[in-house]
Amino acid sequence: MISLEHYLAVGAVLFGIGLVGFLTRRNFITMFLCAEMMLQGVVVNFLAFGRFHGHLGGQVFGLFIVTVAACEAGLALALFLMLYRRGKSLDSGDWQGIREDGLPPTVDLDPLARPRPEPEDPHLPAAGAKPVSKEEALRV
Amino acid sequence: MTLLAITPEGWAGTQILGAAGLAAIGVYQLLPRPGHRSVALGVFLCLAALGIAGAFLFGAFGDPSPDRISSVLFWFFSAGAVGFGTVLVAQSNPARGAMAFAFVVLSTCGLFLLLAAPFLMAATVIIYAGAVIVTFLFLLMLSAAHGPSDENDRTREPLLGSLAGFAFAGLIFFTLFQQASEKVLPTPPLTALDRDELAQVRADLDASLAATDDATFDRHATAAHARLREVIAERPNTSIQRRLRPSLGVGRDADGYPRPVAADPRIERFVEQTDRLYATNSKAEEITLDGNPQVALKAKKDALAKLRDEVAVYSGNGLLPARNVANVGYLLYSEYLLAIEMAGTLLLVATIGAVAIAGRRGVPA
Repeated sequence: MISLEHYLAVGAVLFGIGLVGFLTRRNFITMFLCAEMMLQGVVVNFLAFGRFHGHLGGQVFGLFIVTVAACEAGLALALFLMLYRRGKSLDSGDWQGIREDGLPPTVDLDPLARPRPEPEDPHLPAAGAKPVSKEEALRV
Repeated sequence: MTLLAITPEGWAGTQILGAAGLAAIGVYQLLPRPGHRSVALGVFLCLAALGIAGAFLFGAFGDPSPDRISSVLFWFFSAGAVGFGTVLVAQSNPARGAMAFAFVVLSTCGLFLLLAAPFLMAATVIIYAGAVIVTFLFLLMLSAAHGPSDENDRTREPLLGSLAGFAFAGLIFFTLFQQASEKVLPTPPLTALDRDELAQVRADLDASLAATDDATFDRHATAAHARLREVIAERPNTSIQRRLRPSLGVGRDADGYPRPVAADPRIERFVEQTDRLYATNSKAEEITLDGNPQVALKAKKDALAKLRDEVAVYSGNGLLPARNVANVGYLLYSEYLLAIEMAGTLLLVATIGAVAIAGRRGVPA
């Protein structure tokens, strides 16, 4: 039998991983998804407590959390769209101009890795023409 | 796994600390950053941390029981949720991260189903995996960046961030471990097998209540009593006590049954009732010697009826109403009416706000 502690532990781990992602990642969308993952951990906690107390209140609370998360998703999408239109990027580091007074700016010193060149598309012969095989070419 | 689980009680702190530390270093290795990072080492450390944490949970709170299916499903879904969550955090491509988040949601929905919340599961699948993920994939397509970019391939303070997150999770684990000996949290609800046993006990009790002669009454009452003691003895409790109690020599009562150590007041009442039933039986035998067998049988039946009521109440322990949607709806529109009106208002305001924010066109950069 799985006990209440197991569910609480899973909720805590989900919350912790979401916290790591929210603190470290710089893409707005990834940060948002990590925050949603933290909410999922909280919902697991509520449902587990409701289940083990034999009461439906936990599920009602979970429904309200889902509602608030839906509101949050709509507003966040609108905000990210506006920020993207202004700065042409989803980097939260671009908005450090609104940081607290007196804090030093964060500067990225290490250069980014160079993009790997993509393999070229295979060359195809024109349609209808008979392809010249290697042997024929050698014989000629 | 089992080897890691069988550890002395004092090792719990080491296990938690090890798991949290390994997970923090592993996620630090996995987080995208410009310098050198070892993905293989990160994956290995994360898997090791997951194994140690699972072994700790299994050893500290696990309970061998016949309910195998729900145990296997629980481990499957929780491993899926945690694994895909790590992928979401560590993946530098946000579109792949969004797909990983969809799998996190599906895994948690499996946990919701195990927790008897089918309506919330359906709502979450529709809202998250359906609406939210698809909407954000649209935004990602709109802003698709070619090649490495600042927002995807750099992280802010990766080491400190992962230490903070896993310190949090480790502290929660430690608190759970500490309170396990004080039994603050509610005990697990009865399993389906427990309920079957209790139903048989009730059938025996009913049969003995319907009996008209002493022999039939005694046969059924004895069967019910024996079965009841077995059910009580098998009541789940934390394995910490299970491991400690036998060595202290207090694990068994006078009859040789394992003593139930989970301090559930209902179980205590059970034991009292059964003992009283025995007392009444012996007293009734004395009355029978006096001469009037009908009076004696009635006294016995009265005591047994009380026991049957207790069993009936106890069988419903942890049982959620079967009609989940109907009951959640009833609760929403009776007890939480004000709250749901406010939630509706919040949704409306959020919709208006989203339209107002995103609707502005031609804002200068």
